[in-house]
Amino acid sequence: MEYNVITSGSKMVIELEGRLDTTTSPKLDAFIRNSLEGINELCIAMEKLEYISSAGLRVLLAAQKIMANQGRMVITGCREEITEIFEITGFSDILTIE
Amino acid sequence: MKKIWGITFGGLHSKILSVLLVFLLAIIGFTSFISLYKSLTLKKIVEKSGVEQHDAIENVSGDTMYQVIEQSLTKMNDLRAEKLDDEFTEIEGYIKMLRDLAGELFENADTLQPATVPLPDPDNIDQLEVHLLYEEGVDYQHSEYVGIVGNMTDTMVSLVETNDKVESCYIGLADGTHVGVGNGGADKYDENGKQKPFRVRHRPWYVGALEKGDIFFTGVERDAFNNSMNITCSAPVIINGRTVAVVGIDIVLDNIDELIAEANSDTEFVFIVNNNGQIIAVPNNNSIFQLEDSDTAEDLRKSDNKELADFITQALNEKTNLETVTLNGKEYYLIGTPMKTLNWALISVVDKERTKAPTTHLLDEINRINADSTTAFRNGTSKLSKITIIGIILIILIGAISSLFVANRIVRPIESMTDNITGKSGNGAFEMKDLYRTGDEIEVLAKSFDKLSKDTVKYIENITEITKEKERIGTELSLATKIQVSMLPHIFPPFPHRHEIDIFASMEPAREVGGDFYDFFLIDEDHLGMVMADVSGKGIPAALFMMISKALLKSNSMLGQSPAEVLEKTNELLCANNQVDMFVTVWLGILEISTGKLSAANAGHEYPAIKRADGDFELYKDKHGFVIGGMEGSRYKEYTIELSKGDKLFLYTDGVPEATDAEEAMFGTDRLLEVLNENKDASPEQLLKNVRASVDRFVKEAEQFDDLTMMCIEYKGTEK
Repeated sequence: MEYNVITSGSKMVIELEGRLDTTTSPKLDAFIRNSLEGINELCIAMEKLEYISSAGLRVLLAAQKIMANQGRMVITGCREEITEIFEITGFSDILTIE
Repeated sequence: MKKIWGITFGGLHSKILSVLLVFLLAIIGFTSFISLYKSLTLKKIVEKSGVEQHDAIENVSGDTMYQVIEQSLTKMNDLRAEKLDDEFTEIEGYIKMLRDLAGELFENADTLQPATVPLPDPDNIDQLEVHLLYEEGVDYQHSEYVGIVGNMTDTMVSLVETNDKVESCYIGLADGTHVGVGNGGADKYDENGKQKPFRVRHRPWYVGALEKGDIFFTGVERDAFNNSMNITCSAPVIINGRTVAVVGIDIVLDNIDELIAEANSDTEFVFIVNNNGQIIAVPNNNSIFQLEDSDTAEDLRKSDNKELADFITQALNEKTNLETVTLNGKEYYLIGTPMKTLNWALISVVDKERTKAPTTHLLDEINRINADSTTAFRNGTSKLSKITIIGIILIILIGAISSLFVANRIVRPIESMTDNITGKSGNGAFEMKDLYRTGDEIEVLAKSFDKLSKDTVKYIENITEITKEKERIGTELSLATKIQVSMLPHIFPPFPHRHEIDIFASMEPAREVGGDFYDFFLIDEDHLGMVMADVSGKGIPAALFMMISKALLKSNSMLGQSPAEVLEKTNELLCANNQVDMFVTVWLGILEISTGKLSAANAGHEYPAIKRADGDFELYKDKHGFVIGGMEGSRYKEYTIELSKGDKLFLYTDGVPEATDAEEAMFGTDRLLEVLNENKDASPEQLLKNVRASVDRFVKEAEQFDDLTMMCIEYKGTEK
């Protein structure tokens, strides 16, 4: 998996690409835990994300928890498979999906 | 590599040695070639210069000798000729004086008293006397001429006495008489004591002067009496056109002999040629020329030897240069000076070969010196060669020994290191020794080995530690796996006495321990609790989270609460101390066995698949709640399904639809339903096996990525 980060001021966009699973999520997890200070709007773009596993969901949950305290987090461009996973796991209830 | 005397052949020793030897041999070869070439060149130069020197000396010396001889000989010859000529000129003076005196006497004969002249006295041997000689039959006692010339005998005596060059003098008279002043003696008498007749007018000097009409020198003539060799100078006395007398002087030849003897040596001699080209004086025992009578002597001007003939001819006319003339097959230098008085010539002869003697000697000397120096050069060269060969051998030996020494210094530490490392000496662990502190690459190498050795030891220790740790963890993990597996109900059929239900379940973790779990338990006699859950993540953390989740779910269920209540309660408990944002998706169902009524709630878990007795497996899209442990205060909706006899419920975790092949294609729920429906009436156990086999076929050799957990319940209804 690869991800691109575009930061402008307090707004950050993370573009995800490939598979976010057990092996790849720790990298994104570490990034999110260390880089969100001063960010009040986080956008996670999933146009190129093919798959997300429960470990990936955990990273999103962590991010959501952090952002809930300092602003908002938005998920954009989910594919059908990803949306379905969000639906199944109930993440669609707690995440702001646009 | 063979080892002899501690030297390893084929190793660095022999390589260094070979390099050095090749280098040495190259240098030696090069210098040898240069010195050989130089010495050959030098030899050529020496030889060439020897020849050139020889030629130069020969030429220069020859020229010089020629010049020296020409100068000295010309001068000497001239002096000698002049000296002799002077003597003859003197004699000529005397003869003129006698002639004039006799002439005067004859002219004044009238006024003179006739003088008498005695006959020779036999007792006057070797004593000067005046004597009268006469031809046979001449009346000497009445000779008028004798009376005239008898007046000049005193003068003649004094001439002979005062002049040692004049042996005798005389007057031959036309009437056949002869008045002479000379040594007397018995030679003028015969054995009978009778005076010998003297043929005055036939004597060569008389005839010569008469014929010439002027002063005449005879050749070398035998003395009429003592048979000695004489030269006579004569002159006619002419009165009124008639020759009345001929005056003559016998010249002592001792002077000429003396001169000739004086000039005679091994290398040169002098001879005199008269105007007829005849030799009149030559050293005795001369190998080339002999003195002969004038009537037999050869005219050298007509000699068969053209060179000699030409030379003599020239010499009688003018001074010659130094000429080379071959005599008796040998070359001689000849130089001639004419003697004007007599029209003779004095000729000096020098052996040309002998004149070369100094040159020859010089050349011999030089040749000897050259030969000596060549020998010395050769000896020196051979000595030098020997020294050079010894030197070369020494150099090679020293070079070999020192290269071996150097090689040994290089190789020994390396060998020691090798032995050290391979365990031939020591325990195989590298030890730093003073031997390796060479200050060069070897020390660097040794330090590297030292570091490598220490690192290796450390690494081995680490590896051992890690391996131990790993083994420990492995043991613990396998233990954990066992614990985890034993935590899940794994004895089938689990409730042999309950014929209403048939349950089969399996869990295969992707690693030793997994995050998936299933559970089923009887809450009471009529209620069966069923759990299918998936903890986010895998491994030990997931397993631990699973354990607590499982325990909470079961214990909450056992309290008799509804599925939604159980989930909400469990969520609260899990969220309370969740530091790691872990969560678990849970499907929880409680079946009332007696009625087939299934109450269930879904916390973010996969849709269950339900097969009605006469239908296919289909996904039951129930209402989902949020995952458990994710957020406090989550609420869950509950739903109810009435199960009839033969209905089956298939539960699974996302490991099944998300099983991925090598091309990253997912198995998917469609394939799941397909494989379930292929043999939909099979027992739960068989259904699980079918799904499992299908998943295996799908993923092929791709690694199992996620836990694979499945559970299937068949409701068989209550017994009638």
